Amino acid sequence: MAHCLLNQNAKVYGGARCPGIYSPLVQVLREQGWRMEQLPCPELAFTGLNRFWAVREQYDTAAYRRHCGRLAAVVAGALDTHVRAGSDVVLVGLEGSPSMGVCITSSDPQRGGRPLWPDGTEELTEGEGIFMEELRAELRSRGIAEPRRIGITHQLPDHDATTERTRLEAFLRN
Amino acid sequence: MERDRRSFRVALVADRFINPSPGEVDAIAVLLEVDWGVIQLPTEHYPKEVAAPLLEQVAEQTEEFHRRGYDLVVIGGHPGLDAALASAGVPQLDHIEAANAKELRDFLRRRPLPPAAKN
Repeated sequence: MAHCLLNQNAKVYGGARCPGIYSPLVQVLREQGWRMEQLPCPELAFTGLNRFWAVREQYDTAAYRRHCGRLAAVVAGALDTHVRAGSDVVLVGLEGSPSMGVCITSSDPQRGGRPLWPDGTEELTEGEGIFMEELRAELRSRGIAEPRRIGITHQLPDHDATTERTRLEAFLRN
Repeated sequence: MERDRRSFRVALVADRFINPSPGEVDAIAVLLEVDWGVIQLPTEHYPKEVAAPLLEQVAEQTEEFHRRGYDLVVIGGHPGLDAALASAGVPQLDHIEAANAKELRDFLRRRPLPPAAKN
């Protein structure tokens, strides 16, 4: 699961939706008997806690991809251990994230310079985050079957807790 | 924009306290109650070549929280954690091997307000 789902302290300032653990996800995972393992936060390690809000294009540099690739290799090693043991593994990302998005990321090719922009949702767009891309590439290169994936929606403007719970329950049951 | 709700408190938690066997201490339940975030330590049964780079990541992320004045504690621990933290320049963190939920809750509730939360 994405790091911030167990640790909202890792979020960019202004983005923490709860003090620490995102309990709705933990609740559903435990009800259905899943173990939890936390992914590293690629943005925290690269740009730190005082980073600005950023879109995918701002992170999409060779250096950030190398960083994500290094983390993906670490994660793939752990994931491989579980796959070899015959465990069912799923990835839980974060929709809207430039790094951890599964189906929705954030995009604005023009964003840059002094960080002044109005609140809004125009940056949300279909696509996955950079770390997720690098992780899939790493798994492919190792011949590890790609786990099923789902993204948590709690930072999207149309987030609905009941809908998310239903979606999660159905996903984890499959 | 919504108010940021972070707690400025992060616990480095052994896997056995996050995915506890029946009857063992469930740190997640306690941490939810007292508003702490989690950095999960590698599962104890990972081979060293898997655990070591994961610990390196844990240490790098912990260093950032330490530098910014967040409160940090270790619940349970992991062989190699102290060395990884030292390599990242993180001083020895307060540590608990919680025997039960109450002990863990009391330990966390006694923590002073972290510097980052005073800003």
